[in-house]
Amino acid sequence: MKVEFALTEQKRARLKADKLDTGFGSFRNVEVTIGKVVDDDWDEPMGPTPMPDVTMLRSWDHKLLTRYRPAYMPACQLCCLCTFGKCDLTSGKRGACGLDIEGQSARIVLAAANIGCAAHLAHSRHMVDHMIHEFGPRFELTQGDGVEIEAPVTRLVTGIRPRTLEEASAVLDYCETQLTHTLSAVHTGQEGSWIDFESKAFHVGMVDQVGMEIADLAQISTLGFPQSDPEAPLVEAGISSMDPKKAMILAIGHNVVPATYIMDYASETGVADKIDIGGICCTAWDIARYDAKAKIVGPISWQLRFVRSGFADVVVVDEQCIRTDIVEHAKKVHSPVIATCDKSAMGLPDRTDDDVDDIVQDLVSGKIAGVYLRDHAKIGEVVVKTAIKMHPKRKKKGSLPSKAKIKELAQACRQCSECIRACPNNQPVMDAVLAAQEGNLGPLADVYDECIGCARCESACPNDYELHSWMVKAAEGRWKQESFMVRSGRGAIKDTEIRTVGQPIVFGEIPGVIAHVGCANYPDGGRAIHDHAEEFAKRRFIVVFSGCAAMTVGTIKDDEGKSIYERRPGTFDAGSVLNVGSCVANSHIAGAAIKIASIFAKRNLRGNYEEIADYIHNRVGAVGISWGAMSQKAASIAAGFWRLGVPVIVGPHGTKYRRMLLGRADKAEDWMVWDARTGDRVQVAAGPEHLFYAVENFEEMMVMTAKLAIRPNDTAKGRSIKLSHYIDLHETYMGYFPEDIHTYIRRETDIPITLKAKIHAQMKENKWKEKPIPDPTLVRRLVYGGKGGGE
Amino acid sequence: MMRAEPWQSAEVCGPTKAQGIKKTAVVGALIKKAKYPLLVVGAQALTEKTRKKSMIDYFIEFSTTHNIPIVATANTIKAFKEKGFDNAYSYGAMEITGRLQDHEWKVAPKKGPHDLVMTFGFPYYMEWLMLSALINFSPHIKTVTLGRYYQPHATWSFPNLKKQNWNDALKEILTPVGGAK
Ligand code: SF4
Ligand code: SF4
Ligand code: SF4
Repeated sequence: MKVEFALTEQKRARLKADKLDTGFGSFRNVEVTIGKVVDDDWDEPMGPTPMPDVTMLRSWDHKLLTRYRPAYMPACQLCCLCTFGKCDLTSGKRGACGLDIEGQSARIVLAAANIGCAAHLAHSRHMVDHMIHEFGPRFELTQGDGVEIEAPVTRLVTGIRPRTLEEASAVLDYCETQLTHTLSAVHTGQEGSWIDFESKAFHVGMVDQVGMEIADLAQISTLGFPQSDPEAPLVEAGISSMDPKKAMILAIGHNVVPATYIMDYASETGVADKIDIGGICCTAWDIARYDAKAKIVGPISWQLRFVRSGFADVVVVDEQCIRTDIVEHAKKVHSPVIATCDKSAMGLPDRTDDDVDDIVQDLVSGKIAGVYLRDHAKIGEVVVKTAIKMHPKRKKKGSLPSKAKIKELAQACRQCSECIRACPNNQPVMDAVLAAQEGNLGPLADVYDECIGCARCESACPNDYELHSWMVKAAEGRWKQESFMVRSGRGAIKDTEIRTVGQPIVFGEIPGVIAHVGCANYPDGGRAIHDHAEEFAKRRFIVVFSGCAAMTVGTIKDDEGKSIYERRPGTFDAGSVLNVGSCVANSHIAGAAIKIASIFAKRNLRGNYEEIADYIHNRVGAVGISWGAMSQKAASIAAGFWRLGVPVIVGPHGTKYRRMLLGRADKAEDWMVWDARTGDRVQVAAGPEHLFYAVENFEEMMVMTAKLAIRPNDTAKGRSIKLSHYIDLHETYMGYFPEDIHTYIRRETDIPITLKAKIHAQMKENKWKEKPIPDPTLVRRLVYGGKGGGE
Repeated sequence: MMRAEPWQSAEVCGPTKAQGIKKTAVVGALIKKAKYPLLVVGAQALTEKTRKKSMIDYFIEFSTTHNIPIVATANTIKAFKEKGFDNAYSYGAMEITGRLQDHEWKVAPKKGPHDLVMTFGFPYYMEWLMLSALINFSPHIKTVTLGRYYQPHATWSFPNLKKQNWNDALKEILTPVGGAK
């Protein structure tokens, strides 16, 4: 294969190959324009699929989708996306465009992944463009010492090694093109088959991982964040970490750029000690990575309770996961809102061109509830000045109702149950209100503990009760004490760390890598995340966190008052609990898996997606978990893992993604692999059994995690370790010895020694026969010595 | 008796919706007619009670009376095993939802496939989606939900019931129509 790079007149890079022979066939005159710059001194050979277009990896997707068939659970049996409709898709009927319910269900999956990818990608684009503006296009990107493979996902997908902001921008050009194509496939009369909608969802999930990686790489490189630091600082979190004596600024969202201008302005003007800035959601992680003195208030579900508490002198919103009615809520407690992002201007007047003091005056006097500002420098000045002026004024304003007032108001409850029926978790809100009639606010406080802060109960209440505020008041004693230590986001995993753990992970001796990611849509509070992480860290899994889950896990303290981050190291190693950072930093988890293939197995990364995904799927016992998955971003993040062949578990609310990817352990023919050494077809055990799975509860999550860590390539020692964990957790939570152990035993040496008798009995009962341990691959062309063929 | 409308008010569905069970004899008749019924019991059965009886005990009695196997999801299986009940099989809620879409599949070797599936014990929204999968992709299966709240995606569902009425209904359906099978 001859691949050439060239600079075009417009300084765009062009990848050109007269003939490209790949496992997918032979292509003539391939030519791809990739942006503005080119990497001509990287000697790693280019793999077969640099910057794959929408269908280039389709055959890989189809392999996964044939083994892990989608099981759809439509939330709607109608389609109303075009004026042909509404169309009734029940009982095998097709819409006017020809689509059936399977196709429509898959189309919804793709739509969600597109939306999620777009949110990350737009964030990434803003970050890179902004940093180019600030630091120039040639500013060098870095993940810090000990990281030579700085952007493994990007290298793998695009074949580009982004070394400067300009090159990062070129990578985003590619991503944006792909997103346009996958989004267009959702249009009426484009894609028609479920499997191709799904394949495109995988594609955009892969693109999403690139976009996230670039966003984090850009901010880590330019903003002085911890760089691959296992000892990133421990920072204080929780509502009580905010100092009420200072002017409080609450920053909500995901894009840290506006908040950095606030912090910079405060220190440059010598007022840093007069303000306290705290964040909700991923902006919290990134302000703390920028300045360890910034506070992490809590996950997304805490935004309403904190705003209602009335502490914030100014509320700053950037993008993603902010309450769209934030202005209304903030107005009630006289907190001005500053919208800083074009995606969420919140209906506020654009005052970018006005004089700062005029804007501050209008906000402080209450003449306007908030402003939208496009100029970052102005944001910094307006926010700091407004917060300092608001602080003494607002102290006098009450926010939450008194306990006596709640008791008085509760008397008129109509016992209509509408609050319960509106609650996503079926919380006993009405019963708590009835208890409040008697002056007992305990039940309202209990509801607070498991509340995700959505306020659906109060918007359903015919009496217009501010039920969420009542809960916040009832639990005041608890949240006012809320303070816990979390580890700031460390960024990527070092190459040196991968060198240490690569082999034990691939051999199965470190039984797995668990990636807890995502949001706070918990079914019954967040304790499950902590207990899960603690149990698996004890079992020597590597447990990695990002996003809101990384905050929630820190809220649980041991008897000595220590959080999991204080108890466990932040290195990428057995028994550790790491925080990589905000949502976009979760790309480092995929990056770590990719680097295992590169550093330990010495496989080429560059433009070599299918081979590396196949490697990870068969060898790296990684399991993604999103106990509180909520957003479309979580959907696209999951899709990125699916394409890498990494299974993802979601909590019960994750059923609302409406499609699982389920393996059938009972169908031997689904579990055939090629033995890369011999070219033989070999049957392996069902591992990982599923690719996307919503668990019903904590107990099922415990057992499923251990089971999904099993891989065909486990060595005997690795397999026996993994089975020991699976058996032990199964006995604990399911109450009996699992009946499928014999299917995972290939040779005697796979049997955990202490369980020999039981397993032997099961093997005998099931007429067990010894099985080969292949060098497993799903891709025939990867059979060594040319014994494989195209497929 | 409350109305037959989704308990979580946003969970409306498509053009067809479950028939409200007005008389419990309907359930008895469906069981009697079914060739291979199946009961799918989720983890809320571990904490719910009907009168003073645990739902696990109730379903053991139900299963024994009507000779219907149980799929117990998540850790619900533990409770059945602890009571020495051996007609319960372990599958995840999503796994059983997937398997039931396979027209060949059955929980134990018997003439299949399952043609009647009764459900209980899941978060409302989860059961709503599980039943949606079955209504859309398993047209050979009729579904009955035995919980207190109306599930529009079932073939048959109680309307939203007061606890007392639900207890009465559960008691009534323990008695087989025309004697045990
Ligand atoms: S997109 Fe197709 S199924 Fe949807 S409304 Fe239009 S014609 Fe009907
Ligand atoms: S605010 Fe809390 S209690 Fe109210 S509906 Fe939402 S989760 Fe339920
Ligand atoms: S919705 Fe309001 S009035 Fe109705 S039961 Fe709940 S608190 Fe009472």
